[in-house]
Amino acid sequence: MLHAAKRLTCCAGLAVALSACATTGDGSGHAEAVAPVVDPPAQPGAPLLLLAMPPSADFQDVRRAFIAETKKNFNISTFMVSGATTPGDLAAAITRSSPTCLVLMNNATVALYREYQTAHRDEKMPPAVVVMTSFLEELRGSLKNATGIAYEVPGVTAFVDLRSVIRAPVRRVGVVYRPRFRAFIERQKKLASREQIDLVAAEVGKEVDAPGLRAALHTLLAGDKVDVLWMLNDNELIKNAQFLDDTWRAELATAKVPLVVGVPNLVDPRTPLGSFAVVPDHEALGLQTANLIFDLDSSDWHADEHDVELPLSVKTIADLKQLRDSFGLKEDALRHIDRALE
Amino acid sequence: LGGASTLFEPSRLYIRWCARKLETRRACDDAFKQLARSAEKCPTRTVASFPRTRRLTPLGLGVLLLASAWLGTAHAQDGRPTLYVFLQLDVKPNVLEQTLQKQLPGIAVTVFGRFRDFQDVVATRRPDAILAIPPLLDLDHTKPTLQGAKGGRDWEAYVLVSAGGTQPSSLSGKTVGVVDLLGHDGTQAFAASVLKTSDLKVKRVAKIEDLLPLLEFSAADAILIPGAVVKRLTERTRLPLAVHELPGARVGLPAVAVLRPAARDTVVRSLQGLDAETKSILGIDNWSSR
Repeated sequence: MLHAAKRLTCCAGLAVALSACATTGDGSGHAEAVAPVVDPPAQPGAPLLLLAMPPSADFQDVRRAFIAETKKNFNISTFMVSGATTPGDLAAAITRSSPTCLVLMNNATVALYREYQTAHRDEKMPPAVVVMTSFLEELRGSLKNATGIAYEVPGVTAFVDLRSVIRAPVRRVGVVYRPRFRAFIERQKKLASREQIDLVAAEVGKEVDAPGLRAALHTLLAGDKVDVLWMLNDNELIKNAQFLDDTWRAELATAKVPLVVGVPNLVDPRTPLGSFAVVPDHEALGLQTANLIFDLDSSDWHADEHDVELPLSVKTIADLKQLRDSFGLKEDALRHIDRALE
Repeated sequence: LGGASTLFEPSRLYIRWCARKLETRRACDDAFKQLARSAEKCPTRTVASFPRTRRLTPLGLGVLLLASAWLGTAHAQDGRPTLYVFLQLDVKPNVLEQTLQKQLPGIAVTVFGRFRDFQDVVATRRPDAILAIPPLLDLDHTKPTLQGAKGGRDWEAYVLVSAGGTQPSSLSGKTVGVVDLLGHDGTQAFAASVLKTSDLKVKRVAKIEDLLPLLEFSAADAILIPGAVVKRLTERTRLPLAVHELPGARVGLPAVAVLRPAARDTVVRSLQGLDAETKSILGIDNWSSR
């Protein structure tokens, strides 16, 4: 009896402790758990990697997987970046730790590092690996001795995943884009063509209004007869709920084609819009980042000679009802979807 | 391209989603306005809460370790033996876990999707049994109690697949994609052993479906996969593929190691009772006792 009571007490204590582990936040209002940052014990003589990153959960997921892969070979020092961090703070962290390589996560961190490079333009820069930033291919030109992994999921990955779960054809995919996405779209066209998928792109202006977007979508659907629509992760194409109703939903109501999106929240069977979401797999991104570090290590850390990589791993979310009723599900489709919503 | 202010910020949609839950469109649009001001502070961020299976925060893991030392090994709370599974199959880990759990009600089944997650947890919480391929059991110095077989063979052939219709004439200096079966060093050694050369660059991926992008993006010259996976690969892709058989590239089929002798009978009996469909998912059609 006493023993059982002890175990109960222990379990209750465990629950309290574990819940305490999950309460650290970044102030962003998200309810996801953010782990306190503890770097692995230092190993004498091992080269040091300096991770500069924001504290929120997705970055922690990448960090956790990255550390699991690299901790035997490298020392790790984590520098948390917040809105209050200055280029001087980052410079001090770099000076203090003298890293063999930097790992920089998100646009704000890269902006700080760019300022650091500008302020130390005559000095030799340590190699830097950049992850979880927008448009890394374009951004890289503004950094010295840097490479990394693009964050945008290539369209071809999403299209091939969708093609492997639905019976309807996925041969022509329509996409609306703004001028700043032009180079990105050109790269996507080439990648999609390798999988015999035509990416039919409709350019709209820098600023997008509902009639303009709707006209572009209508042309893709009625004129170009695309099989699938792909919604880019671009604020101007999404704006707000009313805008979505007036554009995407209005056009998709009359043309039954699947909509591929890049965020899971747009896939909701109760208010159907996105049919299939494809998002980065952050733990796998940690592994890919670690592999990139090992590659650089074996090539004398010439980061500038290493091409920016594309993300290899994704997670998929599907509106199962929409896919089944309108496009037909393949027999083993459920085996290949990470999250099926009904 | 400096700021992220004009890029899509998924957290805005998270707010919209929350607002819709409350059926207040107005609150939703207010949230959009507020977030527009803070957008450039935020990275592109996914707000999905995927089932975060078998992952703990470092502190949580530490607390759990202390507790498990006190509470004993990783028995299920209801006293059922525990089975930890790590197999790279062409099926999502959550689907495999549901399928196995349904077939094995007398066992608490946990399926791991990544080698590191599996390795970390097995090292700290000893399960009653492990279902994995023999090279992984060897790594843990455990011997199979049950060995899977298909068509009378307890191994499967691995093949090398490349895009473009032709195989590289020599593997020397080439990049080969492999699923992370055994960690950085172990997977490198595995690939070198199967391909009979160490003069190659191994690109590890987390999941078997991540190998196709290596070929699509020309990030690898070839990928190393079990022969049984070729069919699914050719169904998924329109890339012209060249499949090259590798003499002697044989890897053991899934096997079960029982770590706690008291659980042996339950584990063996339960796994031998798997139906044909589940065995087929595991890539076997029979078990043999060892």
